[in-house]
Formats: sequence, C-alpha cells, structure tokens
Amino acid sequence: MFRKLSIAFLIFILVSILTGTLTYASNPNNVIDNLGYLTESEITELQSRINSIKETYVLDTVIVITDNTEGKSSMVYADDYYDYNDYGLDSKYSGLLMLINMQKREVWISTEGKAIDIFTDSRIKNMVNNVTNSLSNGNYYDACKIFLNDVSRYANSGIPKGQYRAEGDPPYVNATYLDKVLRLMRTWYIYLIALAISIIATAIVSYSSKGKVTIDNRTYEEGGSFALSENSDIYLRETTTRTKIERNSGGGSGRSSTHSGSSGRSHGGGGGRF
Amino acid sequence: MNTVKEYKCPSCNAPLEFYPPTQNWKCNYCSSEFEINELDSVRKEEASDQDMAELDSYKCDSCGAELIADETTSATFCIYCKSPTIIKTRFSGRFKPKSVIPFKLIKEQARDIYKEWINKKLFAPNEFKQKEEIDKVTGIYAPFWLFDCKADGMISGEATRVKTWTQGNYRYTNTKYFLVNRRGNARYNRIPVDASKKLDDKFMYMAEPFDYNDITDFSMKYMSGFMAERYDVETDEAKTIMQKRAENYIEDRLKSTVTGYSSFSVREKNVNLSQIDASYAMLPIYLLINKFKGKDHIFIINGQTGKVVGDTPISRIKQLIFASVVFLIAFLICVLGGALFV
Repeated sequence: MFRKLSIAFLIFILVSILTGTLTYASNPNNVIDNLGYLTESEITELQSRINSIKETYVLDTVIVITDNTEGKSSMVYADDYYDYNDYGLDSKYSGLLMLINMQKREVWISTEGKAIDIFTDSRIKNMVNNVTNSLSNGNYYDACKIFLNDVSRYANSGIPKGQYRAEGDPPYVNATYLDKVLRLMRTWYIYLIALAISIIATAIVSYSSKGKVTIDNRTYEEGGSFALSENSDIYLRETTTRTKIERNSGGGSGRSSTHSGSSGRSHGGGGGRF
Repeated sequence: MNTVKEYKCPSCNAPLEFYPPTQNWKCNYCSSEFEINELDSVRKEEASDQDMAELDSYKCDSCGAELIADETTSATFCIYCKSPTIIKTRFSGRFKPKSVIPFKLIKEQARDIYKEWINKKLFAPNEFKQKEEIDKVTGIYAPFWLFDCKADGMISGEATRVKTWTQGNYRYTNTKYFLVNRRGNARYNRIPVDASKKLDDKFMYMAEPFDYNDITDFSMKYMSGFMAERYDVETDEAKTIMQKRAENYIEDRLKSTVTGYSSFSVREKNVNLSQIDASYAMLPIYLLINKFKGKDHIFIINGQTGKVVGDTPISRIKQLIFASVVFLIAFLICVLGGALFV
C-alpha cells in the first residue's frame, strides 16, 4: 500500500517536471529568413541578441521573413506562426514575433502573454514606424536590429502605467484608404449601425403609409387666447462632475488591443505597410 | 307633412343636387344652376326644431319606391330612380345640426386625389396602385360634435441645464437643477369629435383639420346629392374624448414655454376644463373602399381640403427591398465615409 502510493507520488513528480520543462522549452531558432535576405553571420548575431532578451526579460522574440503567408493576413499568419511553432516562454507563452511579409510589403508584430501588456498599441505603433524606413529601403538587418533594440528598451521599462487590455482592432500604421475600408468592413458595429438605420427608415415609411396627423396643440386654440398666469423657474441646486479624458492617440494611452488567434490563445499586436 | 324631402328643379322639376365647384345647386337634366336664395324663395321648408316621429319605412318622393336606409342614414339616394332624398325626421329635434361645411370637392376630384396619393406610397403593392376601378366612392356628410371649451392648466417639474467644458485632462459636467412651474389658460374652439360609430374614429381624426372659414348654418339643401349620417355617439361620450385632447393641448402648450433647458420632465400636472359647449355639425368626407385580396381597404378623403388617410395595404416584399437598399446605402456611407476618419 505504502509502496504503491510512493510510486504514484514519484510518477506525479516526474510528470509535473516533464510537462513543466516542456511548457517552457521553446523553439531555439528565433530568426527565420525564408528569402535569404540575411547572411549567416547576421542571423547568428541576431540570435545571440535574442537569447539575451529571452534570458533577461523572459520574452520569446521571433523574426520571420517570408513572401508566402498561405493566403492568410499578416496578423493571422504571425499569430499562427508563433502558436504552432512552439514559441513562448513561461505558462502564458510570453513573447512577440515580427513578421516581414514581402508579399504584401507589410510588417506585423504579434504579441502574447505578458508581451501584450508591455507592448501597448502606442508602443507597437512606434516600433512599426521605427522599422518602416529601413524596410522600405531594403535594409532588413538594420530593421531587425532596430526591432530588437525597441524590444529591449520597452521590456526594460516594463508595463506602462495605466495599461489595460481591450478587445478590438489592432493598430495599423500607414494604412491605405482601401486597408481602412476593409478593416471597417470586418467590424461588427458597422453592420449594427446600418441595420438600425434601415429598421428605423422602414418603420417611418410604413407608419406614414396610412397618412399623417397634421393637427397640433395650436390648431384649435383661439388666436391670442393663451395666457400664462404663473411662470416661475426656481434654482434648486447644482452638481459638477469630472471625468478623465481617455486619449486614443498619442503616447498617453495604455490600451493593448487583443484578439483571439486560431489556436484560441489571446494575441495583441499591430502592423503597417512599408 | 312630408317625411322625406327632395329639392326639385324650379324649371323642370327634376331632382337638384348640390354642386361643390360652384357651391350652387344643379339640375342634372336641364343643367340649370340655382343659388341658395333662388332656392329659398321657392321652398321654405327647412329642418325643424320639433321632434318628428320616426317611421318604419320611407318612400321615395319621385317614384314611390321604398327607401333602403339603416337607422342612422339621413340623406341617401333612391336605389330605383337614383333621386337624392333626405329623410327629414332625421334632421329634426335633437338631430338638427347647427352647422355644416359644404363639400368643396366632387367625386371625380376625390378619386384623382386618392390615386395621386396612393401612387406616392412606397410600400403599397403595385397591383393595388394600378387598380383602375375603385370599388366605391361615397360623399358623406359625417356627424361631428364640435366642442368649445376653456382650459386652465398647471404643470410643474424639474428642468436641468447642462454645461460641459474641458480643463487639462478632465472633462467637467455641470448640471443645474430648476423647479419649473407654469400655469396658464387658453380657449379652444370647435375641437371635432367623430359622432358616428360607423366611421373609423382613428381615420376620422387623421383626416382633420377642416377649415372652419367655410362653416355655415345648417341647411338640408346641402345634403342633396350626398349621403348623410346622423349621430349615434352621445355628447357625453364624445366629451370624454375631447377632454383628453384638450388636456394634451394645454399641457403641450405650457411645455412649449419651458425653454432654454437641456431637459424637462413633468412631475405634476393639473388641467381644468370649463365652459364646455358642444354643437352638432355635418362635415364633408369621401369614403373610399377599395378591395384587395378579398379585404376591404378604407380610405377617407377630407371633402373640403382633400387630405387623404387610410388603410394602405403594405407589400412585405417592397418593405424588404427598401430595408435592404437602405441597409446597403447606410453601410457604404459608414464604411467609405468612416474610413476617412479612422
């Protein structure tokens, strides 16, 4: 009886150690360059910088350069690549991935775990802006270095004050008019607004199809017969309230927009064109 | 004494009918027209203040056939010889109207006005719009109670004035509360209340207003050539309807004097009506019945102003198409316009 219990206890400890290490064991290749834009030595240099970020801040950091996103949008591809290739440190799979999508000439940063909280929308916007120039000029190595510098800088400063998560659209830098249109078409509230307008308009026209009441409170009033005999407006009290203004743009916002990936895990992030 | 009355042409003795375009009486046989005083000089008989005994049946003055009329019908046509006939007893005693607004429109005009109106109705089915034959158009003098009254009203409630401004990172909202009292009075003249149970109260209400500049003392002569009904809604019953209306009028009127506030909600109100006076009047309407898919659709056309109201059939398909088109347009505006600002 006692032996059985101790064996079970041993197995339990073994399994928990194994699963524990499995969860935290992350993919050691953090720079994936499908297009050969980076030299071997550049990749080694980037990998060593990433290793030190992983150690210091417990944030997995991935760079993917590709021209084939399997028909997915940059956001979905980046989220999926991160989720299905064993990236992520700690139990929340903390880390981030920068996708350089040459097919659409888009850059996308996907965050997960505590990286969602560290890299707020405004920080993501800055990071995307910072790499855009190098990417446009074809300096991919420079762009990767700038990205890693930003990761270290923001990871070092930690989660900004007033940071909060909110379900919603990720920030998109340098979006074209068409991008914005497509993004709006994917939001649910646009459909709700249009539906409300449509129902109200139909109700008004239906109601008026039977004719309208055209008399009011003056129709039968004898001209000049209305007289006020009492007319008082007495001041009672007043209240003043103040609310903090949440600014949507600029560096002050602590919003981290989140969405769910195909794996069911929550992601943050944002991107833009170059 | 005759119980029914026909106005006969002084020239040819054929029945005379009231002709709205000239506001004269016209003979359909010899086309002569007569003004009101010409007619008065020939015939002096008029509606009597004395109650006349109701009879079980009435006979046409022209052909002697029995008139088909239910118990409220007061003016009609003989179904055999088509002569316009007025049942005098039904305009006598307590049923003697005080005033009348004569018809301004003839049947054909009413029909045209209706057709134009129904064509503008977006949701009316096309088959219904394109129907050539309108099943029935009847010019009717409808019985109305016209109420005069004085209304004393009081409203009291809380009003707010809201001011907002921003300072630094904060938005300030200042709300001032006021106790607002208003007391006032007004006179209302001739608030009409439908006095016939046969006619739909809602549509009769919607067919208002009538232009009282044309109102004149009642004379049976105006009834000639039209149908007429006598009231079967008693004054007291009509009075409660009128009171609700007058109370709303004075209340709304008082509310309209409360200005310069962000919001106002009435907490207390009180309306007193006095000097209520009812008078019995005949007002002109055309009742139009159009059948569609086995159902009678009733329309009322104000016989004086030409205002149309009625039970327009609604096509579900048209509603759906309209809703879809509006949805699409609203969606495109939101998306294309919204993209300029995000």
